[in-house]
Amino acid sequence: MTTRREFLKGSAAGGLAFGFHLPAAYAQNVAPEVNAWVVVRPDDTVIIRYARSEMGQGSMTSAAQLVAEELECDWSKVRVEYADTNAQVRRKRVWGDMAAVGSRTIRQSQETLRKAGAGAREMLIAAAAQGWDVPAPECTASNGVITHGPSGRKTSFGKVAGEAAKLAPPKDVALKDPKDWKIAGKPIKRVDIPDIVTGRIRYGIDAQLPGMVYAAIAQCPVFGGKLKSADAAKIEGRRGVIKVLPMEDSVAVVADNWWRAKEALKELPIEWNFGGNESASSESILQFLRDGLDDASNVVVARREGELEQGLAGAAKVLEAEYFTPYLAHATLEPMGCTAVVKEGRVDVWTSTQNAEASHATAAASAGAPLENVYVHRVQLGGGFGRRGGSQDFVRQGVQIAKAIAGTPVKLLWTREEDTQHDFYRPLSLVRMKAGLDQSGNPVAWYSRISAPSIISTLLKLPLKEGVDPQAVASFADQPYAIPNVRIEYAQRNPHVPVGFWRTVGHSQNPFMRESFVDELARAAGKDPYEYRRGLLPAATKEYGVLEATAKAAGWAEPLPAGVHRGIAVTEGYGSYVAAVAELAVNDKNVVDIKRLVLGIDSGHVVNPDNVLAQMQGSAVFMLTAMFWGDITVKDGRVEQSNFHDYRMMRLREMPKVEVVLAPSGGFWGGIGEPGQAAIAPAVCNALFAATGKRVRSLPLKNHGFEIA
Amino acid sequence: MRRRSFLIALSGLAFGARAADPLLDPVTKGAPVTRGRVKLEMPLLADNGNSVSMRVSVESPMSEADHVRAIHLISERNPEARMASFHLGPRAGSAEITSRVRLAGSQRVVALAEMSDGSFWMDSANVVVTLSACVDELGG
Repeated sequence: MTTRREFLKGSAAGGLAFGFHLPAAYAQNVAPEVNAWVVVRPDDTVIIRYARSEMGQGSMTSAAQLVAEELECDWSKVRVEYADTNAQVRRKRVWGDMAAVGSRTIRQSQETLRKAGAGAREMLIAAAAQGWDVPAPECTASNGVITHGPSGRKTSFGKVAGEAAKLAPPKDVALKDPKDWKIAGKPIKRVDIPDIVTGRIRYGIDAQLPGMVYAAIAQCPVFGGKLKSADAAKIEGRRGVIKVLPMEDSVAVVADNWWRAKEALKELPIEWNFGGNESASSESILQFLRDGLDDASNVVVARREGELEQGLAGAAKVLEAEYFTPYLAHATLEPMGCTAVVKEGRVDVWTSTQNAEASHATAAASAGAPLENVYVHRVQLGGGFGRRGGSQDFVRQGVQIAKAIAGTPVKLLWTREEDTQHDFYRPLSLVRMKAGLDQSGNPVAWYSRISAPSIISTLLKLPLKEGVDPQAVASFADQPYAIPNVRIEYAQRNPHVPVGFWRTVGHSQNPFMRESFVDELARAAGKDPYEYRRGLLPAATKEYGVLEATAKAAGWAEPLPAGVHRGIAVTEGYGSYVAAVAELAVNDKNVVDIKRLVLGIDSGHVVNPDNVLAQMQGSAVFMLTAMFWGDITVKDGRVEQSNFHDYRMMRLREMPKVEVVLAPSGGFWGGIGEPGQAAIAPAVCNALFAATGKRVRSLPLKNHGFEIA
Repeated sequence: MRRRSFLIALSGLAFGARAADPLLDPVTKGAPVTRGRVKLEMPLLADNGNSVSMRVSVESPMSEADHVRAIHLISERNPEARMASFHLGPRAGSAEITSRVRLAGSQRVVALAEMSDGSFWMDSANVVVTLSACVDELGG
């Protein structure tokens, strides 16, 4: 029988090592660093460094699996440790991109990680061979042990790591065929889970420093507005209040505890200069987007094939529809925040960030300090979903406040209300679609005009290639169906509400529109929506494969119980291919009982099947929440929602059963964290149509009177 | 001009010799460019390309006989390659400019100084814009 102590010891294997040590110790790490990614201690513990962030997407484990696979180490002796941003700056960005965004940790880093593992293995073998004075090719490594074949002599990684670290890295190393994987490709448990379960894990919000003070912040409720004045005298002398700090578009109150800071801030008379957007509303914003559907000006073509007008003119039937998706908030469980100390030219930051390097750059710029003097201490994130990557506003504020009370650590924490009302929202989008069907019901012409903001130009301020924001037109511009005449147009319309990357970005909304409209076409053609799609997808496409695998697993051809209906959808996203089948029943009160959600994914290779499963399930929670309730609305230039009572999350009892179909076809590396969401909304809405005859052309479903059972 | 050929051209610049360079030629009219005398300071990392600090200084007595006539900032990736031109004269006192520039992503930026004797000097800086975009594409 396993005792609890043994269990805890055992579950710590392949664990997460938290970087609570001072970064200064990093450079003189006592354990030999074989290369930037691999450190081996004399006791054979292998430290694998992880450069990006971990917010539940699991790549901290998957990335380490890829290194360990090539390293041939003993997984039970692996500790994962964050790469340090200060060392990153000093070592010429040795770890490359640190951003955990775009479902790209694995697909962008897999080669680097595998080569790091293989390179370290070769160095360890070479060091052992040197010690034995035998040719390195006669030696092999397995499970952290190096064996000299002819003599049978053995040594461990820990014994030769010191010598290995002195060797030059090999120039070129061969990588394993994924079919030979022993650690990668296996459902290894996530290294951070034991610490999450036991409460040992540290999120940004948990930062606790001696002598720390606390800051609450109020930002101009109307986006784009500025602070006019704050009458600090009114709250000075309140118990615990240390400082009132007016900033450009916000004001912070620093106090000896956070509650006192927040309560004092409530009493602070603040005047804002709203900047002209105070009359904007959801209605005026929608009208602005609607104009984008009708205007001929400022419209660009994102894709053009054949002759759309000819195709439509020659069609036996023409269908037209408008679809809408709203602004959405990220609503991370942990609100935005940042703990910082600015002292004697050095800046230390603890923050939940999707890009520690971006936080580092922001901290340096905000403090006016050289990059070399900044230390971003790595922590887990209490949710990211894109909010903590593209904009480092919380770091800018945190460091600015810390600078104003130099020498004292300060923890800035937003209230839930600030967080909900000062997000960089998933853009809203209004899309007009038109399709022409031939005599047999197949589409011969397809038109989409997307009227929506551009994240790339407003948040990242990057120039758009030929005026097209690829995220705004995602899954339209690259739709896979064989249709001879296609025109996809983009009308960039940027209201004053800031937009950003929300998990799955353009694929969180456009597949809902595209795949619902395909369903409309299938119904108009009198065809089964699965067979209709199969008929339009070239058989060589990955979409075809994953659609078939998912439909098969869902038993699409099988009869359903009375009152239960199905919907299906397929799309590409983040280099992976996903399909969904929803089975549901709707009662006379519009209560939707989702009986079953079957989600299929072809991600090419699979590094950790259990994590893919978890991401697909998590995607279902996230997307079902958004599609039933997610709706950020604007009145008087500001966001109306403020907290979970009016920005609702799905509850445990509402969560349907999710079945995941892994259909990896190999040969490519697709993303995992985001694509899972893409096919869910259309599959559910198509099933709703099958059940009720009502075509849902806008989200969320609560606005159509639907509730979840 | 393609990014790669620009980089090759730039690496050529490091050794003082250079072939015709369409990116610099509109300014230099084909005159030779030497690395040196110019110091371009930009951060290795910038969180957002919208506003990146930049400081250029050129060694020059800034006298009537020997001064910096102009400092040009040239971008490898911006839609407008010639980001800025600062025109100076001896009365400027010193050839030093501090400003903020907008960068369309990670890239190398060149500061090109045009001297009163018609010679060209340069320095370059690599800036990584730490774009954290959940975009589909793997580029950048």
